[in-house]
Amino acid sequence: MKALCSCMRFVALVLILNLFFQASYQLTELQVCNLCGGIILNSSAVGQFCFFSAGRIDGRCCLRNDTTNDPEHIIGLDLSNCSLTCVQDLQGASTAFMIDLSFNPIVNISDTAFQGFNKLNYMILPQNIDCPGSNTSWEKVEIKKGNRHCEGQRNMCNETGQLSMNCPENSLCAPFGPGFFECSCAENFRGYKCLREGEFPALQVFGPLAASTVVISVLLWATQRRKAKSL
Amino acid sequence: MLCHSFLSKTAFCLSSYVLLHASRKTFSNVKVSISAQWTPSILNDSSPAFSPGETWQDNRLFEDEKQATLFLGILDSIFLFSYALGLYLSGVIGDRVNLRYVLCFGLCGSAAVEFVFGTLTEWLHIYNLYLYSSLWVLNGLLQSAVWPCVVAVMGNWFGKAGRGFVFGLWSACASVGNILGAFLASSVLKYGYEYAFLVTSVVQFAGGVVVFFGLLTSPKEVGLSLESETGLGPIETDTDSHKPLMSDEEDEVEVEVYGRRGQSVEQPVEPPAESPQAIGFLKAFCLPGVLPYSLAYACLKLVNYSFFFWLPFYLSNNYKWKEAQADRLSVWYDVGGIIGGTLQGLISDFMGKRAPVLVVSLMLAIGALVGYSRSPNDQVINGVLLAITGFFIGGPSNIISSAISADLGRQDALRGSKEALATVTGIVDGTGSIGAAAGQVKMKKKSNWRIKQNEFGSMRTAGSIVFITPLLVRELRAMWTERRARQRQL
Repeated sequence: MKALCSCMRFVALVLILNLFFQASYQLTELQVCNLCGGIILNSSAVGQFCFFSAGRIDGRCCLRNDTTNDPEHIIGLDLSNCSLTCVQDLQGASTAFMIDLSFNPIVNISDTAFQGFNKLNYMILPQNIDCPGSNTSWEKVEIKKGNRHCEGQRNMCNETGQLSMNCPENSLCAPFGPGFFECSCAENFRGYKCLREGEFPALQVFGPLAASTVVISVLLWATQRRKAKSL
Repeated sequence: MLCHSFLSKTAFCLSSYVLLHASRKTFSNVKVSISAQWTPSILNDSSPAFSPGETWQDNRLFEDEKQATLFLGILDSIFLFSYALGLYLSGVIGDRVNLRYVLCFGLCGSAAVEFVFGTLTEWLHIYNLYLYSSLWVLNGLLQSAVWPCVVAVMGNWFGKAGRGFVFGLWSACASVGNILGAFLASSVLKYGYEYAFLVTSVVQFAGGVVVFFGLLTSPKEVGLSLESETGLGPIETDTDSHKPLMSDEEDEVEVEVYGRRGQSVEQPVEPPAESPQAIGFLKAFCLPGVLPYSLAYACLKLVNYSFFFWLPFYLSNNYKWKEAQADRLSVWYDVGGIIGGTLQGLISDFMGKRAPVLVVSLMLAIGALVGYSRSPNDQVINGVLLAITGFFIGGPSNIISSAISADLGRQDALRGSKEALATVTGIVDGTGSIGAAAGQVKMKKKSNWRIKQNEFGSMRTAGSIVFITPLLVRELRAMWTERRARQRQL
């Protein structure tokens, strides 16, 4: 009875911790939405995108969930007029389709800032900043009204047949943000550098081995050692 | 019943040694996979690193393949050194403790260490240089316990009669073990190199278990006794074995006894407990014949071990063949070695002389090495050249390791003293392995394996010839005088 009580206490503790971490994760996710004050205006590019995508505006983010079970994720981010000088890490915004960074005194954008943003299709940047991943990673780059518009992220993978040329053996290429690609292991391959193929047939190897060891040992003991006297 | 129990003893000892060599071969066969595991991916200069990092970059035990390869060579040397050291020590132990326990302990212990080395470190993702080195030292020490026990058990059970045949089988043992190890490793390599270690160590452990339950270490255990039972090992006290090889005696069977020995780091059994060391190390070293044979053996052993340790690595790096294919191809070297050892042993038995056969074979070996280094990128031709090279190198290596006991054991200074013979053989074998070990690291420092193997291999082979030449001269002179004596008789 006592054991059961302490066990249940333990389970309750785990559940509480779980909820706490989930809440704190959502908190971090929303941190980027509150990077600076104000909310998305309906007239802005992101605002209109949000409206057409049936998303919910929260601070500077446009959120949406794909199905009722999934948590909400960011599909649009409007950080214009935020007095940002340096863009390093937009945590939690990797699912965004559209990001607006216009009217910010940005000095530099870190190289890996948009790594993982494989859904990003439209960016608005100050005129003096190049599109992340260089202009060749985007279908269309134009300057409109003093802002640089980067449209249509290009797939960096050379699609020639099954396995692309960018990635080493046994791995497949997938887009991983503007100017990035990631190599994940192909079907049936796994492990470091995708060197390992298939599942080791443990039973088929060790079953017969164990059986034969036992049989031979018993046989030999019966015929040989049983007659042995201790020296 | 006696016959089949003899057979089972032979089978035990041979299979213990086979398993040992199989597990050693596993290490050389997975070198490509291991060094891939220890290094990050190589990139062209301009490309960024592959992502995700866990799959492509994060293992940075070594920064590039060259350093990883160097460390693998160091591991080989460490193993050889500790094996040589263990041989000296296990002689002492084997005398005092039950042979069955020592043999079982050696097999099972070594299997456990190999499991930790290859499989556990991978499953737990612990990559540590000191861990690897110390495990491999332990492995060398444990494996060194097996050979003397096996020799002692064989000595207990086999009198003079069957010994020639048995030792004849033995020379094939090491190569059979290599072949078995190559096949085991290459079949499971695709699942990951850790499974190659897992399979061979489990098989070896099973072998240890079978030995524990089935082995009778001496006929005394079942109340039998042999006529010429010695309990001392293959170095006999009977007068026949001490007749010099140089003379044309009809007991060439005895010569054959020492003509078939495993081709790697073995040593005949420890000196028996009763009598003390009859000859000190230094004195034994100064005996005629010891020095040339040691040096020749060191040279040859280096070449042999270079092939043993590095062939699959070289094949898959140079010709870009898959590691499993390279493993299977490396088997041909051992096949050539088996045939070479047996055939050349037979020839030298008929002739009654060792050195001429050795020198001829070594000279042809140089040619074979050169030819092999020019091998085209074709698996069939490469395999054939490998077999030829194995024939010409494995043969002399085998004979030298046996000719040592034969010739040196027949010197006047050692007559009637079995301890001294063991010491002398131990010195020569041990020095040979140490020389081979030291040479391993030196070789690995050079980057282009192929050229270096060619140069060093030929140099070393030539070195062996140089060292054997005085003995060759002596034997040829003896042959000439015998011929003339016989002609005068007619």
